[in-house]
Amino acid sequence: MFVARRFRASEMDPGSALMIGVKRTIGASIRRSVVAVALAGTVLGGCATKDTGAAEVWDPLETPNRFIFSINRVVDIIALRPLAVMYRDLTPERAQTGVRNLLDNLGEPVTAINEIFQGEPSRAATTMARFLVNSTIGVAGLFDVATSFGLERTKEDFGKTIGLWAGVEPENGGFYLMLPGIGPSNARDGTGLMMDYLVDPFRILTFNLAVDWDYYQFARYGMNAVDYRSRTIFALDDLEKNSLDYYAALRSAYTQNRADQIRQKREKTDTRSELERRDTLALVR
Amino acid sequence: MSMLASRRVAFHLAAAAAVSIALPGIGTAVAADPVQLVQTTAQQVIDIVKTKTGADRQAAILAVLQANFDMPAMGRSALGTHWNQATESERARFLKAVATAEAKAYSERFGQYGGQTLTVGKVTPRANGVSIVDSRLNQTTGQPIKLEWEVRNDRIADVKVEGVSMVMTRRSDFNSYIQNNGGKVEPLVKELEARAAR
Repeated sequence: MFVARRFRASEMDPGSALMIGVKRTIGASIRRSVVAVALAGTVLGGCATKDTGAAEVWDPLETPNRFIFSINRVVDIIALRPLAVMYRDLTPERAQTGVRNLLDNLGEPVTAINEIFQGEPSRAATTMARFLVNSTIGVAGLFDVATSFGLERTKEDFGKTIGLWAGVEPENGGFYLMLPGIGPSNARDGTGLMMDYLVDPFRILTFNLAVDWDYYQFARYGMNAVDYRSRTIFALDDLEKNSLDYYAALRSAYTQNRADQIRQKREKTDTRSELERRDTLALVR
Repeated sequence: MSMLASRRVAFHLAAAAAVSIALPGIGTAVAADPVQLVQTTAQQVIDIVKTKTGADRQAAILAVLQANFDMPAMGRSALGTHWNQATESERARFLKAVATAEAKAYSERFGQYGGQTLTVGKVTPRANGVSIVDSRLNQTTGQPIKLEWEVRNDRIADVKVEGVSMVMTRRSDFNSYIQNNGGKVEPLVKELEARAAR
């Protein structure tokens, strides 16, 4: 076997040798990514034992996270929050609803893709139907006509998809991560964010058509940020005012809120539901 | 046009249902105790926010907290493992400061009454004596907010807003503060007292 292969390899022209080399490199890179995925799985699945739900959020990067958090807060105080306040208070209610509908509509394809990965093709079909209805009758998504047709809106992201299948308590999303400009996240949701960005058809479209649509994309992400911030002003102001350590309070609140969203997804299939978990919660003595 | 009309009808129906359920449990003899407790508490807070301001409001809310909430247990949970190393006087001072801080937070949170109503949903009794009451806070604009109440021994032991537990968030907050301030309870109590006095 070995001899035969060596014989053939020696007879090969340089071109096919190169091909094999390329194939090997690809093979190696696939193997490497498999290892990376397995590693990521271990990270995600880490510290899953003895979870009473009362444990602190795993934050090995606390020092760099706090550093990024302080930068984020400066940007927020001088730029994002004032913008969001102006947007909330000075823009007519109808315009805000329109903008939100438009942004939500652009996000529907990603939600549909995630619903397929979550094993809910019928839900994904509904989302795509919403997208088609709102993009046409709803004037490019400005009006949410689909809801009045009985097509309910859902919002899914890849972080939730991973959380759904991860097989660990949804409070455990891997290490906590403070992302520059984006805010609280963790290994799970950060990966999810990246996946959502990669599969987003609108991003791929603008990229493939080689049209200079970057401005539209910037405008979209910018509006998303302002819109999202304007909806979280009340909750975040409240949390900041009533906490001694805002970073720690936000870390806890973010983790709980995401866990709650994932738990709602799981509830249908998971036998170990939130209620059972609460019985063993250290809080409930 | 017709779909807009049907939407409006649906909205009115939903609003009517919300109002009828949100009315405090007078004559709803069927309702279990936890539901009554949650509805009474919500109604009391709404009344206070409607009629009182400033220090009066804070005092009234503190009274509601102490009557309807299991403040000692909540405080103890919020302190977590540090409770055991705290002295008797530290514990007492801590509980007092936490109650004041919560009352202050609640009285400032609402500002003016904005027409919110509470719709109580299903109650899930658990084997360990805890009942979980699901509810929705309906606002005049925007999505309703999901609220879950944990009721134990006829007292409210925790409130979860969109899945975020009040006690758990305080617990992380306090724990982090203690760890960053020498691992002792005393600095935390001092800080809470200083904030309460402000």
